[in-house]
Amino acid sequence: MSVRALWIISHEKGEHLSLRFAKRFATVEHRAKILAGSSYTAVPEDNTVLQLLLTELGLSEPDKPFVALRDDCLYRQRSPALELRVDSPGKGMLWPVLAISHGPITLACLPLVDAPAEPRPALASLLSVSQGLTLLAGLQTFLLGSGSKPDSEVLASRLAMLPSVLLQVCPLGTPLDVPLPGAPSTPTVPTPAENQKQPAWKTGLHRGRAAVNVALIETVRSMQYGNRSRQDLWDVYGTVTCKCEVEGVLPNVMVTLTLPPNGSPLQDILVHPCVTSLDSSILTASSVDNFDGSAFSGPYKFPFSPPLEPFRLCSYTSQVPVPPILGSYQLKEEETQLRVSVTLKLHESVKNSFEYCEAHLPFFNRDQFGVVDVKVSSGQLDVSKEKNLLVWGLGQKFPKSREVTMEGKISFSGPTPGPTDPLCTELTAYIKLYFKVPDMTLSGCSVDQHSVQVYSSSKQRIITSRELQSKEYFIWNSTGSAPVSSGQMML
Amino acid sequence: CLSPQVCLFHSTLLMKSAFTDSLFSAEDEAFLLQRLVVLSQHPLLSPPEKLFYIDCILSFPENRPIGCGDDALPVLLTPRLASVLVPTVFNDSATLLARLHLLCLVYLEEEDEEEEEGRGLGYLYDHLTSLLRIVDNGGSREIVVTFFRAAFLFLSYFFPVERFSHSLMEELCSLYLRHTHLAPHFINLADHIQEQLSESNWATEFLMALQGAITDAELTSKDLRWHLKILARVAEEGEIKQQSTVDFLSHIITSSSLCVKGDWRLGNFLLGVCRRLLVHPGFDELLIPLADVLQHLASRYGDTDIRDHARLYYTLLTTLSKDKLAGVLSQGYGEGGGQAKKRTFSCIVAESEGLTSLLTVHRAKKIILKLVEEPQTETGSGLNLNEDNPEEASVALEQYRAQFDVPGFASEIPLNYQLTHSESADSCFDQLFSIRLHFSLTDDHYELLGDISVPCVFRERPPPSVKLRLKPRRPQPTSLHASAIFTAQDGFSWLTDLPDVHVAFQQTFLPLPAPETWGRGGRLSLFDGFWDEMSREEPTGGATSLFCCQLQEEALKTLVEKHFLPYLVSDPSDKEEIKVLFFLPPQSHLLLRIRSEETVHFNVATDNWQLLPHINSYLLTLTSSQEDTHT
Repeated sequence: MSVRALWIISHEKGEHLSLRFAKRFATVEHRAKILAGSSYTAVPEDNTVLQLLLTELGLSEPDKPFVALRDDCLYRQRSPALELRVDSPGKGMLWPVLAISHGPITLACLPLVDAPAEPRPALASLLSVSQGLTLLAGLQTFLLGSGSKPDSEVLASRLAMLPSVLLQVCPLGTPLDVPLPGAPSTPTVPTPAENQKQPAWKTGLHRGRAAVNVALIETVRSMQYGNRSRQDLWDVYGTVTCKCEVEGVLPNVMVTLTLPPNGSPLQDILVHPCVTSLDSSILTASSVDNFDGSAFSGPYKFPFSPPLEPFRLCSYTSQVPVPPILGSYQLKEEETQLRVSVTLKLHESVKNSFEYCEAHLPFFNRDQFGVVDVKVSSGQLDVSKEKNLLVWGLGQKFPKSREVTMEGKISFSGPTPGPTDPLCTELTAYIKLYFKVPDMTLSGCSVDQHSVQVYSSSKQRIITSRELQSKEYFIWNSTGSAPVSSGQMML
Repeated sequence: CLSPQVCLFHSTLLMKSAFTDSLFSAEDEAFLLQRLVVLSQHPLLSPPEKLFYIDCILSFPENRPIGCGDDALPVLLTPRLASVLVPTVFNDSATLLARLHLLCLVYLEEEDEEEEEGRGLGYLYDHLTSLLRIVDNGGSREIVVTFFRAAFLFLSYFFPVERFSHSLMEELCSLYLRHTHLAPHFINLADHIQEQLSESNWATEFLMALQGAITDAELTSKDLRWHLKILARVAEEGEIKQQSTVDFLSHIITSSSLCVKGDWRLGNFLLGVCRRLLVHPGFDELLIPLADVLQHLASRYGDTDIRDHARLYYTLLTTLSKDKLAGVLSQGYGEGGGQAKKRTFSCIVAESEGLTSLLTVHRAKKIILKLVEEPQTETGSGLNLNEDNPEEASVALEQYRAQFDVPGFASEIPLNYQLTHSESADSCFDQLFSIRLHFSLTDDHYELLGDISVPCVFRERPPPSVKLRLKPRRPQPTSLHASAIFTAQDGFSWLTDLPDVHVAFQQTFLPLPAPETWGRGGRLSLFDGFWDEMSREEPTGGATSLFCCQLQEEALKTLVEKHFLPYLVSDPSDKEEIKVLFFLPPQSHLLLRIRSEETVHFNVATDNWQLLPHINSYLLTLTSSQEDTHT
């Protein structure tokens, strides 16, 4: 399977559009022509493609409130496979144009479809779609790194490298591999002429001191409503990232995840393709399966042959019985001011030692703060420069009682209106918690340093770490209406 | 990055689709589906991947598929399993819509089982209303578009469930009154529902509800243009009574300062509504109030253009019978739905967007017209019988050359062409009007050509002739770029390129422009005079040459008759020596003496040596084609 063309564009909400990279594969196009016969639609000029792409993504002509082509209410499957309506010279459709966006960068490609165009084949029946998505995702990681904010200089240098990288990972338009995220950092030597055959995905060998680094990061999300009619929700997912610097062509490493005796089993486990064998009971535990009584609770053994670069060995989800911090948030409208009352309780199972812990209380659709008369039982309270956000820094520790409170009144008599938000109107408001706890996980899952086995002659250094962090951790005002965030509530 | 898994998992699904139960057991199937559901909402995967997995659920390859429709959901996907995929306001729009689509399908199947319907469907409806709240609170354009798509999706599956479709209608109406600028979205929704769900009259009821909401609402001037836009759409519905619309119109033009301000755009919106009312089936009852409205506009409105058009409509309304009125005005609608409207004059008023396309010259994508050479009609070289021939060659030359003192004498080459359709032209170009042909030169051998007008070209009629008058500076072959602007049946102006017109060397030949009183004798002496001059070894620019070839006597005869007859100077019965004289404007001559011996000798003389290569290739093509036809 192959791609006919590839584009990388950058834009700011549909404006300042620029084509950063474009590549067409003439041989693939030729094949497309033969395969499609009379229904063949040629790929128009890059500028035309760009405009069509923006229209499909709903980004073209941002100053016009309604453009029929862009805002048509007729539903059709758009992302990830867009349909570009080519106007000239022969009317036709380009489908499926795969597109993924990350911030200002959008990557798009047009895979070759080897099935008849009419009737349109199901997206799921085209292998080239998943390959195209993989290629795009790989290129995205290569260009932007896995970090959240793309660096324009890094991006420029990576874009300059792209032609030669594509020559390797996608020769003549046929994706073979995804580009390595960044240059290999460790000194690697090219393949020696040994008996054992080097796998194609491994570009070299590690020489030097052996080291294995296993990092376990658990993320907790929560929606707390403080309301009897709405069940509070929280979920936990973890990822195990490895970096293995081990000698040998195909070294064997085994990482074992263990749970404490009363721990809830890990679910939805996804593993990296380098894992060589897996107990089937590890894979079958699923969060969507309500009949799961098997309760396999480890140990979870992952034997694998590591690639050179850092990689995500596995990920899992877990259903923990309690949220790490239980909050209650109450707002009351009092004439010209708002009475605020917050309580946060740290659960006893959570280690009371944070790297950081902050609660943000934004206020939308109101004027800026006038008088802020709020007292906190612990920590430090700041008012943001824009005067519409309270930042409550809780420091490294909760007090002994493991409970903190905030009480007070805020008047909104500032000179200018604050930010608006269509969701948080009237008493619909939230607290968002940001925290990180080193050396702990909610599920209790851990990687023991001694359980990491490397089958190699030399001695190696093994480092393991774990931490818990929050993401999308919301506590909604219980006196206002809060949006539904999951369908599990209604069951 | 876990993304290589997309490929691996996808391959597994494709394998399952190929091998079904010979390779995958029922447990495997359950496991794969469960895995798909997990993956399609996994927090660590990127949105495009999750969307792809949702798509895979929709076309999950079951071992024993029951339905065979496009969107037949797998049997194993229970509402309970699917509940992790319900849309929420925290999803991005693409995810939200994909999930809503999936869940609609899930609950559609569950519809028969009454007890389940309530909760799942109720949830989806609640979700829709929470989206509506966000739009109501000033959500971004993306949210607005997403909401209308979600509403369309919901309605397209659940329009028969009246309690939801009715309350949605009410919600939408009150949303419209608060956010009138969303009118295009509302019209778009009504259009699509009407088009897609022909069995339901939800769209008509919805438009009727909007009409009611607008006519009952208190008026603010900023909403007016949107109200009028909606009312214009409402007036297209024959089933909806328009009395309240007319009352509304008459209210706004009499009670507000609208007429005094005389806004042209608003006036156009007003006229747009009136225009649709004029063709409304229930028009009889509206006649008098509508006439009042138009008369008021025609006399009071502050913009002349609007007054004029209102007067036109008023005149049409009061003087034409209902059928004729419908005939005049409905031209804009009717055949071909919204796209292939005819652009009539009255349309300019109603459709202000149509005006721009009417005034633009569109460029045709294919070649529509071409020029083909007109078949030659033989004109007998009528020789003057009252011969008055000069005896001497030098006198003949003198008399001949004296003619060129008159400016413009024999300086033009008339070329006859026919203007026809090219093979690739679409049928919408069958009838073309007021065609204007424009020619441009590719070299400087010729003077510029003027444009040529042709009244019309119809495909079924004989093609019109076009006479090009080329004025050479030098007798050289050339080609001309040609283009044409014309009006097609649809009323648009079009520009098309024609295939280049090639003027061959032999097309620049003219018969000798000898004085009219001369007979053959005069021409012969002129020929001799020229020949002598050119064969002299003086640097006059003249040149002689010899061309030989093998030709049968018969072949030579046909060749001469076919190609040289208009230029023949010697007596056609003279077999000994054939003398041919070509005149090439502006002032070049080419002489041939053809003698048949063992081979045929073409003795060539010319007063312009630059012509020699052309002559050579010309003779070569002539003679070789003769050989071909005779062997």
